[in-house]
Amino acid sequence: MASMAERPDLTVHLGRGLHLRSPVMVASGTFGYGFDAPQVDRAALGAIVSKGTTLRPREGNAPIRIAETPSGMLNAIGLQNPGVDHVAHVYAPQWATWDLPVIVNVAGDSVDEYVAVARRLNGVPGVAGLELNISCPNVQSGLQFGVDPVLAAEVTHAVRAVTELPLIVKLTPNVTDIVAVARAVEEAGADAVSAINTYVGMAIDIRRRRPIISRGSGGLSGPAIKPLALHAVWQVAAEVHIPVIGVGGIMTPGDALEFLLAGATAVQLGTVNYVRPQAAAEIHDGIAAYMVQHGLTDMRALPIRLVSVLTHV
Amino acid sequence: MSIAVAPAVVLERSVPMAGAVELVLSHPPSAVAVGPGQFFQLAVSAPHTILRRPYSAAWSDPAGGRIGFIFNVVGAGSAWLAALDEGDELDLLGPLGRGFDLAGQRPAICVAGGLGVAVFPGVVRALIARGRTVIILQGARTAAQLLPASRFPGADVHVATDDGSAGHRGSVVDLLTKYSPPPLAGEGRVGAVEILTCGPTAMLAALIDVAHRQAIPLSDIQVALETPMGCGIGTCLGCAAPLAAGGYFLTCQDGPCVRADRIEWELMTDGFHG
Repeated sequence: MASMAERPDLTVHLGRGLHLRSPVMVASGTFGYGFDAPQVDRAALGAIVSKGTTLRPREGNAPIRIAETPSGMLNAIGLQNPGVDHVAHVYAPQWATWDLPVIVNVAGDSVDEYVAVARRLNGVPGVAGLELNISCPNVQSGLQFGVDPVLAAEVTHAVRAVTELPLIVKLTPNVTDIVAVARAVEEAGADAVSAINTYVGMAIDIRRRRPIISRGSGGLSGPAIKPLALHAVWQVAAEVHIPVIGVGGIMTPGDALEFLLAGATAVQLGTVNYVRPQAAAEIHDGIAAYMVQHGLTDMRALPIRLVSVLTHV
Repeated sequence: MSIAVAPAVVLERSVPMAGAVELVLSHPPSAVAVGPGQFFQLAVSAPHTILRRPYSAAWSDPAGGRIGFIFNVVGAGSAWLAALDEGDELDLLGPLGRGFDLAGQRPAICVAGGLGVAVFPGVVRALIARGRTVIILQGARTAAQLLPASRFPGADVHVATDDGSAGHRGSVVDLLTKYSPPPLAGEGRVGAVEILTCGPTAMLAALIDVAHRQAIPLSDIQVALETPMGCGIGTCLGCAAPLAAGGYFLTCQDGPCVRADRIEWELMTDGFHG
């Protein structure tokens, strides 16, 4: 760890007054509502993103919900959560006493549901921002909001209209053109985007002759997707004017730095929280050490933006 | 309760029965903190694996600062663990979850199928220390895969094997009816015993079936559940088990030890990324 004298300022800004003391966040669904995982050093974190929260409580999917795959894991939890009222009544008052911002990840199966959740959380002390999970299917069309720039913009715009909170939209990578969706949600009023959510994948139990995950498919996370996520961040960061939060398979300080160099303003740790609770502190300290080593005093100096680099990729 | 994430050192590696490995680790805080039936998440560094592997402690020795794990090789992670040797370091997270409730006074029948026996050395020791009568019913494919009765001092051990090479030929669950250990024989057996069990889901389902037929209340059966597991600490929600009352139970946090009446056995499934 760098000494106090040379400890660099790791503050980052995600828009609309959301300042994080550290670029290291924890990703939705990998940290519950912030009450578990006491092994993780809170001082290393800039923000917590909560489990995906819906209007009504959801029980989640029948098991089996997770499977390990090469250098990754599949999950299909099914948005098990206690519902927004419980979050607002029970969790938020506790968050309000913390010195760490909590961003609520919002999910729904209609624009109305997203709007209702956002409305319920607006002005609730302890809620520092919203992150829209637009990888959910829209019950009307069956299509995920996040795969269509028009639908993605529609839900973003509708939520923007009912909340004063900083609004992050979490992009799905299961699209032909992630940049088009990123641009659409920026225009619709998003303050930042997270890139990316999990990739759809599957695994089959050849002995039982059936998919391992009960729903058939699941979301792939972990180091297996890191190069894919990094490229998505690289593409999106070059084309939008709002902060990009990099997420996907980050395990080490070097991984996090790759995302920051690619243009991410902050990073989210996901699967690594399950494996190495000490990773958040190591990654925070590793970024600080890198800043010192390279004589950098501001996180905004990290992204590589050289035309010569861009033209050779 | 203190949950450590800390390196432990392998003190001993042995083969307690055919196809299994026993690691004895030095980690004094965990040896003191762990209760019978609780588990640890062991970090593995096998190529291309990512998740920790959940294992119940087989036993602990608080005074000596030692803790034992018994497991078999079912995948890359357990193969990596099985290849550890004396002096190697191993990162463990735990103790985690809820162990068995040993507070009752009734005779306890421990029903173990396959590697499910791995949880019982410490459980039996704790039961006997409480002055309880303990009967072990242990099943395996073949005699060589049975954990020796010497690992259960003070308990009455009965075995079943699929091939008949030791004890009853057939399922360990048959022993509950066919062998009829004294507490279960005759009238008035309802409420006379408590059953603690761990084993494959098919064996547990058969046991539940026998309990129904013998009018043993499911609340008198405690099960150490095994499900696929991600984090082990209640955040990933991956280890769901179906509840009789509807909804799901997190094996890592609400279990792994649970009274059998709480689980919806018709919907219970298994599968493990070893």
